Amino acid sequence: MTLDFSWLFDPLYQTWLLRGVGTTILLSLLGMVLMFVIGIAGAALLHLKVRFLQSPVTIFVELFRNTPPLVQLFFLYFMLSEIGLTLTDPVTGGRIPLFTGFTCVVLSLGLYNGAIAVEIIRSGLLAVPAQTVEGARSLGYSRLQTFRHVELPIGLRMSIPPMTSNIVSLIKTSSQAVLVAVADIMYGATQIMLETFRNLEVMLLIWVIYLVIASLAVLVVRRIAAAFRIPGYGS
Amino acid sequence: MNAELKLFALGTAGVTLVLAALLVTVYGAETGRVLQALAARTPLLLSGSPDFSRFEGGFAANIVISIWAMMIAAVAGTALGIGMISQSLLVRAPSVLLMNVLRNSPWLVVLYAMLYLLPFEIEAFGTIFSFSPVIKAIIGLALPVTANIAEVFRGGVEAVPTGQWESARSLGYRRLQILRRVVVPQAIQFMTPNLMTTYAMLFIGTSLVVVTGANDILSVARTVIASDGAHYATAIYLYVLFLFFLFCFPIAILTRWLEQRVRVRQ
Repeated sequence: MTLDFSWLFDPLYQTWLLRGVGTTILLSLLGMVLMFVIGIAGAALLHLKVRFLQSPVTIFVELFRNTPPLVQLFFLYFMLSEIGLTLTDPVTGGRIPLFTGFTCVVLSLGLYNGAIAVEIIRSGLLAVPAQTVEGARSLGYSRLQTFRHVELPIGLRMSIPPMTSNIVSLIKTSSQAVLVAVADIMYGATQIMLETFRNLEVMLLIWVIYLVIASLAVLVVRRIAAAFRIPGYGS
Repeated sequence: MNAELKLFALGTAGVTLVLAALLVTVYGAETGRVLQALAARTPLLLSGSPDFSRFEGGFAANIVISIWAMMIAAVAGTALGIGMISQSLLVRAPSVLLMNVLRNSPWLVVLYAMLYLLPFEIEAFGTIFSFSPVIKAIIGLALPVTANIAEVFRGGVEAVPTGQWESARSLGYRRLQILRRVVVPQAIQFMTPNLMTTYAMLFIGTSLVVVTGANDILSVARTVIASDGAHYATAIYLYVLFLFFLFCFPIAILTRWLEQRVRVRQ
C-alpha cells in the first residue's frame, strides 16, 4: 500500500482545508464560550443551593451528560427546523432560518460539554478550602460576594485539569458538524475524498490536523493556567 | 445509596417529563398519533427487526458493539497501561505517546480512518477473515477507548501506596508478578468507577457508528424517518435520546455510588 499525498499541492484543496480549519476553530471557540456560560451558571445555582432551581439544573445536567451529542445535534437540527424559527434578512428581505446547522452545532457542543462543565466546576468549588471561605465571611463578605470574589476565582483554577480534557473533548466532538453539512474540516475532507478517492490519505491528514489543534489547545490552557496561578491553591 | 437513589428518581422522572413536554410542544394536538407511530416502530428501533425475532440491529447492535469494543479495549488498554509504567524508557516513551495520540483523536475521524485503513478481508492461517462494517466500527471505537483505559490503569496503579511495591520487591517478586499479585488486586477498586465511566462514554460514542454503515439505532432511525416522513424526525430523535438516557443514566448513578463507597472505605 503506497500513500499518495500529491493532491495536497492543489491550491483549491488547500483553501478548502484551511477554511475548514477556520470553521472548526470558530465552532470550538463559540462552543467553549457557551460551555463556560452554562457551566458557571449551573455550578453557581447548585453551589448556592438556589431553591426551585436545583432540581431543574440537575435534570438538565443528567439529560445532556447521559445522551450522545450526535443525537442531541440531530434532535436540535430537526426540532428547530420543525418549529420553523426564521428571521427576515434586512439586506435581501428573504426569510433565513434562525438556527442554521452552524448554530445547532454550537448549541449542541455548548449543551453537552456545558453539562459536563457544571459538574467539573462544582467539584472545583467544593475543593476550595473551607477556611478560605470562612475567612471571607468573617471579613464581612456576603454569601454572594464570597462566591463572586473568593470561591469562583479559586474554584475555576482548581477545575483546570479536568476542564482541559473537557475542552479537548469539545474540539473532538466538533467533528460531528460535518453530519449536518457544516463546512468544517471534515466537510472539506469529504469533498476532497469525493474528487481524489485518496480516502485513507485524507483521513490520516485530518487525524493529524485534529491532533495538532487539540495539542495546541492543551498548550494554550497550560499557559493560561500558569499565568493565573495563585500560589498555594492547586498545583 | 440513599442520595444516589433520590438522584436516580429525580433524574429519571425529570428527564421523562422534559422529553414528554418537548414532544407535546413540537407536535401539539398530534402528539397521540405521533406516540402511536413511535410505538409501532419500537421493535424496529430496539432490535432491528419488526417483531423482536432477531437482535442484530438498532439499539441491540449498539449494545453488542459497545461490549465487543470494551473487551478489546480492556485487553489493549491494560497492555498499553503496563507499557506506560514500564521502567525502560524505550517502552514507556512510545506507550505514552501512543496513549496521547489516541486520546486526542476525534472518534469520528478514527472511525472514518478505520473504514479506509482496514482491508475488506484478509487471509490468515488459511481462512479468510472479512471486515464487516460492524467489525470496523468495533475496532474504530476500541482504539480511542484503549487510551482511556490505559490512563485509568495507570491512575489506579499509582493510587496504590509505593510501600506495597517495595515490600513485594523485598519478598522476591518480579515487577510483573508484583503488578499481577499485589498491586492490581488493590488498584481494581479505584479503577472500577473510572472503567464504568469509560464504558458509558463508549456507549454514547456508539452513536457515531452510523457513518460506517453498521445497522445501529441511528441508521434504523434514519430509515424510519425516510419511510414515515421527515415530520416524525423530532419524535424519533427524542425517542433515541430517551433510550440512550435510560441505558447510560443507571451506569452513571452506579458509578457515583461506587466512588462514594471507595472514598468512605479509605
